Amino acid sequence: MQYTKKDLGSYQLHLIKTDKYKTITIKVMFRRRIKKEEVTIRNILTSLLVQSTKKYDTKRKMNIEAQELYSSSIAFDNTRLGNYINTTISLNVLNDKYTEKGNFNKALEFLNEVLFNPDVEDGKFKEKNVDIIKTREKTELQGLKENLGAYTAVRSLESFDKNSPVSIRMIGYLEDLDSIDGKSLYDYYLDMINKDNVEISVIGDIDESEIVKEIKKYFKLRILKKQSTNISLPLKKHRARRLFAKETVDANQTNVNMICTVDKLTDYERKYVLPLYNVILGGGPDSKLFKIVREKNSLCYFISSRYKALDNILVIRTGINRKNYSKTLKLTEKVMNMMKKGKFENEDLKTAKEFFETSYDQIEENPNAVINMYLAMEYLGLDDIDTRRKMTNKVTKNEIIKVAKKIHMDTVFTLEGDKDEEKDI
Amino acid sequence: MKKKIFKGLDIEYYRETLENGLEVVLIPMLDKKNYFITYATKFGSDITTFTPQNSEEVKVPDGVAHFLEHKMFEQEDGVDPFTFFSKSGTGSNASTSYNFTQYICYGTKKFTENLRYLIRFVNSPYYTDENVEKEKGIIAQELNMYNDMPDFQLEMRLRQNLYHTLPRRVDIGGSVEEIYKITKEDLYTCYNNFYSPNNMFVVIGGNFNHKEALKIIYEELELKENKPYPKVEEFNEKKEVRIKNDKFKSSIEVSKVALGLKIPKNDLGNKDEFTKMLYLKMFTRLLFDSSSKFKEKVIEEKLMTDMYTEWENAYKYLTFYFMAETESPNELLKEVKSELENKDVNEEDFNRMKKVWIANLVRKSDDPESMVYDAFDDILYNNEIIPDKIDKIRALDFKELKNIIKKIDFSNISTVVMTPNK
Repeated sequence: MQYTKKDLGSYQLHLIKTDKYKTITIKVMFRRRIKKEEVTIRNILTSLLVQSTKKYDTKRKMNIEAQELYSSSIAFDNTRLGNYINTTISLNVLNDKYTEKGNFNKALEFLNEVLFNPDVEDGKFKEKNVDIIKTREKTELQGLKENLGAYTAVRSLESFDKNSPVSIRMIGYLEDLDSIDGKSLYDYYLDMINKDNVEISVIGDIDESEIVKEIKKYFKLRILKKQSTNISLPLKKHRARRLFAKETVDANQTNVNMICTVDKLTDYERKYVLPLYNVILGGGPDSKLFKIVREKNSLCYFISSRYKALDNILVIRTGINRKNYSKTLKLTEKVMNMMKKGKFENEDLKTAKEFFETSYDQIEENPNAVINMYLAMEYLGLDDIDTRRKMTNKVTKNEIIKVAKKIHMDTVFTLEGDKDEEKDI
Repeated sequence: MKKKIFKGLDIEYYRETLENGLEVVLIPMLDKKNYFITYATKFGSDITTFTPQNSEEVKVPDGVAHFLEHKMFEQEDGVDPFTFFSKSGTGSNASTSYNFTQYICYGTKKFTENLRYLIRFVNSPYYTDENVEKEKGIIAQELNMYNDMPDFQLEMRLRQNLYHTLPRRVDIGGSVEEIYKITKEDLYTCYNNFYSPNNMFVVIGGNFNHKEALKIIYEELELKENKPYPKVEEFNEKKEVRIKNDKFKSSIEVSKVALGLKIPKNDLGNKDEFTKMLYLKMFTRLLFDSSSKFKEKVIEEKLMTDMYTEWENAYKYLTFYFMAETESPNELLKEVKSELENKDVNEEDFNRMKKVWIANLVRKSDDPESMVYDAFDDILYNNEIIPDKIDKIRALDFKELKNIIKKIDFSNISTVVMTPNK
C-alpha cells in the first residue's frame, strides 16, 4: 500500500495505490465550520446532487447510468466532526480489469457530472426536484420520534448543552424546511464549492500520473482561502449538580442516555488512554457495564459507552424497564467508581489493547477505513498505525485510573416508555 | 477434501461432509488479514413442536431457539465466551433466525484456538434453573426494544395475516409472556435434538490454513454423536392469505403500508429453487428497483417517500414483502398492486440487471464475511455450494422470466395500513 499526497492548490489529493481490492473508491470531502442553520439546507443540497444532473435529469436516469457502469455507486453523507460539518460524496467502481477498458474513466466523468453539473435552470435548482427532496426530508424529520434510540440521543445532547455544536441535529430541522427553495439551494451550492475546504482521496489499483491528470481535468475548483478552526470543541466543566431530564412516550422500553464530561486531558490521554478506558467500561460484551448491568443484574439487553474525542464527552446508553431506572443508574455509577478506584484487572487492560490491535490490523481490509485513517492523520493529528500500536501498548493501569477520575456523569436523559409492563416481571 | 472454485471470482473453496453429516465449507482468502467463522444449526424459531424418536410429542414455548442461543454463552467452567475471544481481540456474536441459529467469531489472530473454542463452547450446553431465570429480564428488554419499532410492528402484523399456521407468524424471539415459561428442560430438549452434527455446518472464510482448520474440525466433531432427527411438526398451510386487508393504529407520525404476495413454490414449475428465486427477484427488481418507472412515478406524485422489499423462503411458499412510508396509503397500495399485475418488464432492463448482479458478486468477493454468508445460504437452502452463480445469472432468459411470472396468482395478496393514533 503506497500513499502519496499532492497539494493541487485548491485542494489536496490523497492517493493510495494497492492491488488489495477489486474496486476503486474516490471520496470527495467538503468541510466547513458547522452552523445549526445550515444543516437542513446542506442535507437537501446533497440529496439533490444525487437526485439528478443536467445530463441525467431524473433520478431514474442517474440510477440507470450507475448500473450501466457495472453497478457503480455514488453515496453521500453529512456528518459532524467536532466544530466541522463534513460532506462526503463517494464513488465506488469495479476496476477495469473486472469490467471493460474505459469504465473507470466513465465513472469519473459521472462523478464529475454529479458534483459540477447540477440540474439547475436560471440560477435555481428545479422546484420539482426540490419539492421531492423536501417531502422526503419532512417525513424523515417527522419520523425522528419513532426511532426511540435516535430521539433519545438527540434530546440527551440538547439537554446537555443546547448552545454547543454537540447538540446540533444532523438530521436537520423541520422549521428550516419552508424557507429553502431552488434559489437558496443553488446559492448555497456555489458557496460550498467555492469556499469549503476540499479533500479528494482515491484508493485502488491506480496509475498515479494518469489519475492526477484525470482529477485535474475534472476537479477545477478555485478555492482561494482555506478556513481553519479548531476541530475539537472547547472543554466543558461538569455541572455542580447533575442534570436530570425526562420525557414520556407511548412505548414498552425506557431509553436512558448519560452524558459525561471529560476534564482536560493530555494529547496522549486523549488518543490512547481514554479510548482504552472506554473499551473496558462499555466497549462491548466483555465490558464492565455489560457484565454487571446486563449479565449479573438482568436489567437490560444493551448497554454501551462511546467516547467522542472531538466533543470531549463520553456517552453511556441503555434500554430498560422504567421501574429499574434508579437501580440501573446506581449500578452504572458504581461501575464508573470501580474504574476510578482501580477495581479492574491488568488482564482487562490487556484485552482492551488487543481490541485495538485487531482494529489496526483490519483497517487495510476496508478502503474507506484506509482513506479515513490518512485523513485523520492529516486533520485530527492522529498518529500512524505503527506509532498507535506502540503507544496503545504502553498504557498502564495507573494511567487509566487517572483518566477515570477525569470523567463525570453530567446529564441523564430518560425517554420513559409508559406502556404497562405487568407481563414483564 | 475436494478443492473447488467459485467460477469467475478467482476464489477457491474446500468442501467436506463428515461421516456424522456435519457440513464444512472452507474459503481461504490468503490476501486478506482477517477471518470469519460461523458454526450453525438448522434450528430456528420455526420449530416448536416435534417428536423425538421413541418419545412423545414435545411442545416448547415460542422463542426457545433464541433463548437457547443466549444461554449457549453460559459455560460450566465460568468462562464467558465473549471474554475468551476478546483476549485475542476477536469479535464474537450469535444470532437466531426462523430456520437457523449461528455462532460467529471474527478477527485476525489465534485462528486455530478460536475455531476450536467456538466449536467447543457451542458443544457444551450448561443450563441451570438459575441461569435460565436470569436471562428472562434481558430477553424481555430485547423483545421490548423490537416491539417499540414501528416497522417491526407492521411486519409482524403482515406475517400474521399472510400465514394461517406457519411459525413465521410469530416473532423469532417469541413474546415476553412466552419466554417467561421457558425452563432449562426445554433448552436441553431442543439442544439434544437439533444441535446434532447431521443438522449443523461450519463455514470459514478469509486468512487461514484450510488443512489446519479441517484438522481441528475433525478433532472436535468427528466423534460427536448424532441423535436421530426428530419428527418435526408439518404444517398444512392453506395457499390463500389469511386476511386480505387490514389496518391498525400505532404511535407513529407518518403512515406506513405493507403488502405481501404469497406464492406456492409448486406453482412455479420444476426449476431448481435457486433459479426460481433468481427469476422472482429479477421480476421485483425490475418493477421496484431504483431504476424502475414505478419508483419514479410514485415519488414524483408524492405517493411515497421510502420503501423496502424482500423475498422470504418459507416452507412450501415464496413470499414477497413490500413496505413503505406514505401519506397516501390506499393510493400507493393500488399502484403497487397494479404494477404487479401489469407485469410490465422489458429486455433491456433485464440485461442491465444481469450485469449489475454479476458486478455485485465480483464486488462482494473482496470480503470474507460476504463470501461466508453466500456459502451459508447455499448450504442452508440447497445443502450444497452453488459455485457457478455468475453462469446461472448469465443463463437467465427473458422469455423464461415472462413465462414464470405468468404462473403467479397476483390476487393472493395481503395488505396492512398502519396510521398514526392521534
